[in-house]
Amino acid sequence: MIAASALTRVFGRRIAVDSVTFEVRTGEILALLGPNGAGKTTTMRMLAGLIAPTTGSVTLDGVTLTRTTGSTLRARIGFLTESPGLWDRLTVRENLHVYARVYGLADGEARIARSLERLALSDHADARAAELSKGMRQKVAIARALLHEPRMLVLDEPTSGLDPAIARQVREILEERRAAGCAILVSTHNLDEAERLADRVAVVQQRLLAIDSPAALRRRLATGRLLVRLNGDPSSYLPALKGWRAHAEGGQLVVEVQRIDDEAPRVVAALVGAGASIVEVRPEMPALEDVYLHLVAPS
Amino acid sequence: MRIRALVAKEFLEIARNWTVLVPVALVTFISLAIPFTVILIVPAITGRPLGEDAGLAQLGALLAPESVVAPQIAVEAFLFQQFLLLFLLTPITSAMSLAAHAIVGEKQARTLEPLLATPITTVELLVAKVLGALLPTVAISFAGLACYVVGIALFAHPGVFAAMATPRTLLIIALISPAAALVSLQAVLVVSSRVNDARTAQQVGLLIILPLTAVFIAQFSGAFLVTAPVLALAGIGLLVVWLVLVGVSVVLFERETILTRWR
Repeated sequence: MIAASALTRVFGRRIAVDSVTFEVRTGEILALLGPNGAGKTTTMRMLAGLIAPTTGSVTLDGVTLTRTTGSTLRARIGFLTESPGLWDRLTVRENLHVYARVYGLADGEARIARSLERLALSDHADARAAELSKGMRQKVAIARALLHEPRMLVLDEPTSGLDPAIARQVREILEERRAAGCAILVSTHNLDEAERLADRVAVVQQRLLAIDSPAALRRRLATGRLLVRLNGDPSSYLPALKGWRAHAEGGQLVVEVQRIDDEAPRVVAALVGAGASIVEVRPEMPALEDVYLHLVAPS
Repeated sequence: MRIRALVAKEFLEIARNWTVLVPVALVTFISLAIPFTVILIVPAITGRPLGEDAGLAQLGALLAPESVVAPQIAVEAFLFQQFLLLFLLTPITSAMSLAAHAIVGEKQARTLEPLLATPITTVELLVAKVLGALLPTVAISFAGLACYVVGIALFAHPGVFAAMATPRTLLIIALISPAAALVSLQAVLVVSSRVNDARTAQQVGLLIILPLTAVFIAQFSGAFLVTAPVLALAGIGLLVVWLVLVGVSVVLFERETILTRWR
């Protein structure tokens, strides 16, 4: 488990991360969302033991990250940096081999072979890193982060720059790692990916703005709409919907609601009470993107 | 294990970019060519043996008194031994660019952050970086020294080789040369982890050549002859300085600054 407790990091006068608290549970993928400069990379670097928090603490698998425990704990984490950071003159296999030795893996060669196979990199194993495309380099960096089969993964934009097929492959690998009990923290700008992949989403902008499952965030933080199709002229039923913002559109009623689960039955009851013959009621949830933009919008 | 892994990586990178070793080979070749030209070829062309020069004979006597060996042999032995100091400079000047690039280069290539995210400690990283720069250049330098010694045995006057086989020679080769290289490389590494440009590190590192050049000139002028005990002390002193510099490098190597402020 990865836990950040009141994590704060100040650079000079600038507060990069301000009292952020969250945890990534075992067998969970948490997506970290936030605009550029929101402190995502700084947060991830603190969690990976690369930089120390100004105040607050990081706990990994129950052990507090300190200067003393840093080296041991870093061995338990797989960290994907913003940039792949491969040694260009070395081949893919050699790049991984150095890390296998740094991690002290006795079965390094076998693990490298498995990683290359899993990420469909076997054909490029003996190519120099400099010869690889951006997507390939990213895949090698992911293979490197997974090489020692860590129980905690901190991945900074893992699918950035990847084509859809490779991005899907990476998501599948992350799902496998989650199923194997890994705690996985992923930063991304791809909201669709966050919604599909993550169990929970944390929105940060220096501070932690919200953290919950994508569905709960949508329900909790933004206005939804109910689309009601009924027989007859929909606008004639608008007076029955006092207390809601509603209008007729394309032969149906559009009703704005704050909490769909609570309000949908009341809207239906009001319309039925007014004599409406309802054909269909369809809730329309806001996209995660709407929620995100609502959260990070300047107040 | 982690140090070995990183040193092996450094060797691989050098092997793939072997031209970085051309300056080492060139300096080694020049260090070989100059003494043999000055001591053997020029006198052979001019027909004036060096032993006939009163000034040189005086210097030669510093190493081996006339009563023990002939002036010609003493002068040759003295000069060959002084030129040994050139081999001190070889690994220093040549490994400088490798060491200067060590940290700055990794940072600029963005390869440092993933490495720092592993269990590797600062000491391991810095020692690996020094060894990665030192070992290939010292290997080339020692190959040059081997050629130097064989050349003396084959081409110098009989007796020169024996006159040179002294503790002083041994100390210069086995202790002073690698110790001076260690000190200079570690100093460059300290600078390399504090600046964001390899050229700055290299220029600062080159400052260490100045005192060595002064010793070199003083030796030739006969101002003083560094004796074996002095060399032994100097070697130990250099190793102590190296250890101090390792400590300083560890203290000054700020992972955070390197990761967050260098662009």
